[in-house]
Amino acid sequence: MKNYCAIIAITLSTAMPALAAENHGGDVVYTKAVKTVLFSHKLHVEEKKLSCDLCHARNFVMQSLKAQENDDFTMKSMMNGKYCGACHNGIMAFASNTRCGDCHTGVKRGGA
Amino acid sequence: MKPTKHDLSMKNNEGTENVPMAERRHFLKMGLAITGIFAGGTIFSALSVIDKVFASTDEFTDKYPYKPHYGMMLFQNRCIDCERCIAACGETNHVPQEGYRTRILMREMPDAVGLKREFIPVLCNHCNVPQCTRVCPTKATYKNPENGIVMMNTSKCIGCLTCQLGCPYNARYFNEEKHAVDKCNFCFDTRLSLGEKLTACAAACPTGCRVFGDLSDKTSDLYKAVHQLERPIWVLRPEAGTRPNVFYSKDVTAVTFK
Repeated sequence: MKNYCAIIAITLSTAMPALAAENHGGDVVYTKAVKTVLFSHKLHVEEKKLSCDLCHARNFVMQSLKAQENDDFTMKSMMNGKYCGACHNGIMAFASNTRCGDCHTGVKRGGA
Repeated sequence: MKPTKHDLSMKNNEGTENVPMAERRHFLKMGLAITGIFAGGTIFSALSVIDKVFASTDEFTDKYPYKPHYGMMLFQNRCIDCERCIAACGETNHVPQEGYRTRILMREMPDAVGLKREFIPVLCNHCNVPQCTRVCPTKATYKNPENGIVMMNTSKCIGCLTCQLGCPYNARYFNEEKHAVDKCNFCFDTRLSLGEKLTACAAACPTGCRVFGDLSDKTSDLYKAVHQLERPIWVLRPEAGTRPNVFYSKDVTAVTFK
């Protein structure tokens, strides 16, 4: 029995990185400071192949929607390189003061 | 061989009356207006109209007939469909759930390079040649002679909805409570007449998409936004010929945040 548990533990630990990539956070729809801002884990992790630690926990904690509780979760902060703006600076990805409608998906679409 | 020089001032202007519409449009697309024809119709004299508002005739841009002449500019690329404007409008003007005074249209282009989705806020264009007031049988809707706002006199409205058919912008809805057609009036009764400078939607907009102001005041933000050579501006459905006072544009440079 003890051996059996150890085997499970080993398989789990080796499978973890793969699991983490697949069990990403899905779609995160922010509601503050404005409604319906979409962050798609599918786009960032699966399609763009970005690693978790690129954003977690440097710019975002692991808990989803935690960032929007901060008062400085604003477009101005992002322009100053915080939150999404760490990458969306015009060099790594499109700057956060352009292409508004790509992330601000609108109330009509329900954020999806 | 040197090209022939034509000194147009020495030639007889044959008048632009007979220039076909297609030809005028062709020139307008290049940002030119035909000012004269010379030499049996072979030479067109043209003038740049890029600094003019395309929707309005020349004499109209030079002189705004109302004081104040209210208008709005919408920076289309700034709209994020947060719908704070719709909420603020509904609260201020008691717009029922099924009605609207302003709406936000959406356009998605998945194959576009860069931005793939944009929002277009629409409202009453407060036209200078409004079709709705023209077709109203009871004169319940009228253009205010002082400020040019297209207003409703709900007590005169018989609910025939002819104005809805006349409006090229679908800016009118029937309000069951008032039993009359209701529409945007730039918050005249609820804000402007009470001393506020902005409409509810413009005040609520977090991105600076909506610029409201007085076109007859050269120092106003709206006047400065509309009259720029570097910035192309347009109106919705110019072919309706209603000469709207609601203009659209996009920021040429990236958006700045306060």
